[in-house]
Amino acid sequence: MKRFFMLLCVLLMVTPCVSGCSDFVEPNQLAFVIGTAVDQVQDGSIEVSLQVVIPSQLQKGNSTNSESFIVISAKGRDVFEASQNIQRKIPRRLMTSHRILIAIGESYFQKNELNLLFDKLARDPSNTLRDVVILIKGGRAKDFLRLKHPMEYVTSLAASKEMNINGLQDFTSRQLVIDSLSQGTRPLVPVFKVEHKTVSSQKKSEGIPVFAGFAVLNKKLKPVGFLNDTECAGASWLAGKGMFQGITMPWKNGKGMLSFRLSRLDRSIRSVRGQDPKQVVLAIKAQAYLLENTASLDMTDMNTVIDVQKYMNAYIRKDLQATVNKVQKSGSDVFGIGEYLHRKHPIWWKRQRDEWDANFKTVQVTVKSDIQLRSVGVIGGELK
Amino acid sequence: MKVSGYQMFWLINISSMIMVSYLPIQLAAREARQDCWISMLLGSLVMLAVTWIMLRICMQHKDKTLVVFIKDLLGTVLGKLVVFVYFLLWFMQMAMIAKGMAEFQSLVMLHNTPMLFVLVCMLFLVAYAVYRGGITAVSRCAEVIGPFFVSVLFAQLFLNPQGMDMKRVLPVYYDSGWYLILKGTFYSMNYLVDPSIILMLFFFAENKRTAARGIMWGTAVAMAWGVITTLVLLFVTGPRMAAEMIVPVYSLTKFVSILNFIQNIDAFFIPLWLLGAFIKLGVGLFILSYGLSQWTGIKNWKLIACLTTVVWLAYLLYSGHEIRLTNTLRSLFLVGGLYPFAYIVLPLLFWLIGSIRQHRKSSGSPS
Repeated sequence: MKRFFMLLCVLLMVTPCVSGCSDFVEPNQLAFVIGTAVDQVQDGSIEVSLQVVIPSQLQKGNSTNSESFIVISAKGRDVFEASQNIQRKIPRRLMTSHRILIAIGESYFQKNELNLLFDKLARDPSNTLRDVVILIKGGRAKDFLRLKHPMEYVTSLAASKEMNINGLQDFTSRQLVIDSLSQGTRPLVPVFKVEHKTVSSQKKSEGIPVFAGFAVLNKKLKPVGFLNDTECAGASWLAGKGMFQGITMPWKNGKGMLSFRLSRLDRSIRSVRGQDPKQVVLAIKAQAYLLENTASLDMTDMNTVIDVQKYMNAYIRKDLQATVNKVQKSGSDVFGIGEYLHRKHPIWWKRQRDEWDANFKTVQVTVKSDIQLRSVGVIGGELK
Repeated sequence: MKVSGYQMFWLINISSMIMVSYLPIQLAAREARQDCWISMLLGSLVMLAVTWIMLRICMQHKDKTLVVFIKDLLGTVLGKLVVFVYFLLWFMQMAMIAKGMAEFQSLVMLHNTPMLFVLVCMLFLVAYAVYRGGITAVSRCAEVIGPFFVSVLFAQLFLNPQGMDMKRVLPVYYDSGWYLILKGTFYSMNYLVDPSIILMLFFFAENKRTAARGIMWGTAVAMAWGVITTLVLLFVTGPRMAAEMIVPVYSLTKFVSILNFIQNIDAFFIPLWLLGAFIKLGVGLFILSYGLSQWTGIKNWKLIACLTTVVWLAYLLYSGHEIRLTNTLRSLFLVGGLYPFAYIVLPLLFWLIGSIRQHRKSSGSPS
């Protein structure tokens, strides 16, 4: 009996240590970081801003009066130092495991090497590499985090939802690291900018963040070009990163418009059989649904349907070819053609890889399309 | 103390999987990039062959442990010297796993807890299990932990289908070539599995036939897991990132995100890995102390187990201060000298001598 009690005492004493109580942090001692912003500041150091949600404000369900988040910034020579400086300012332990977005200011991209950020992302086990990396154009990333979104409780969540709903996949930091490490692909980074629009009748909006295309990075991860709103849908499709899109095109005779919804986007790269590797075909596939027809076409007529499908293919092909040509001029292979050639012609690739940005410009890329018109909607002809 | 064939399967399987999850993938990926899965596959085949040879040796000396039969084969002095190589090997592995575990714990979760504490908890548990029940206790634990451990480690590989791109392993062969692939094999195979533990463990097997089958299957399942993990790692991260990952299996669990809802499942992986490490260390401590007791002639192997644990802890604490000591795993002396010697040359020698003796005995005796 005595022995039993002795043992019990020892066990009780050991329990708090064994269960790791010395390192225990209660959820109410944690600050959940949802978004991180990285900016360049004048003196050469960087400024990190963290968007931290305030859980007690979230519970109320309405964010009309009180802010549901705070943004804290601090400067440092690297990300960790800046984060430490932030940590000193707040009473809770920063927790980045649930971060969904990293916003990087345009100035940081211009002045620094992005791969310095990767080290922090990959080395520190508190990062998950599942978060999305975006570039903030025409402003500081910090201001982006500070904005109050009219619909969502934080802007980072709004941005990530916006990308999701528009079909942009694979823009996580893991993908960015992989793309930038592989020699035959250059990364595409989504660009957001702040737009000043009045969205609410009651008060003047301070601006909302909107998706504004992609930045095309080169081998050194500096942006060499921007793809605007209309080009970006095609570019992301051609890069195999998806994007739901609706497309509107004028009908042949210039009278009226046709609008389609495109889904099940797919793309593949292949080289032309029996030719040298420098001739590449980008083949795209999708399904189209006609949703608006102001061109007075009778879609019950089979010949018209075939005609529309043919015309739509030609139109989209021309559109995407223009995007390809523009990207090719910048010399950054965001489509992964180099990576394809690397796999297809590994020996040839060894001579090309070091100068791929220059060599990519000389590759002859042809876009081919196979878009099927699946449905013409629920009415056949025009309602007159 | 008897171990059934089924328990033997789990013992060998868990110890091998712990080894695979820890070092070899990175060593292979550094050399062979996207072809590191070939390196791992080749290494697995070599190790399976070595396991088979070890089993042959064990079958020749069914009722003896390594320490005893080596005396018959090589004579007392030489035999004792050679066995010491194995003792050293086992001790090194125990130190490596225990230290890796403690360092990982303090990096990922327990930032403030002193490393001594993490170590003492684990080592106490291991020593206690070995002290109270010997290999019986450890194998019972393995029997219980095994199914969970193996199924979760297999299942978690496939939880990230949207992040996988099978094309990342292409082009096969052209980028690295045989030299680098074999170099990857050369480095990684030594850390895939420790086949030499069988030489001690087999003595305790209840039914030698089923135990032999269990050992082969245990190794094979662990090796298959290793190759699949390497492939999945390549699919998810690509070759260049994989080459830099020190704890690849842990990193894989961190990428999992199912419907943006099931995330951070490393919380399941770490405890299971700890349970597995417990088995691995338990087996290691048992065979080391049992072997030492036969080697020295001191009957009380339990006392030796306790003393070994103290030495082990002291070594771990000391090596924590001497960074040089812990970073020797890639050294040419080990990889090119000690491991091939202990895993390939010595077993072949044992097998040869054993076979010749058996042959002589059978031909020498009148029939």
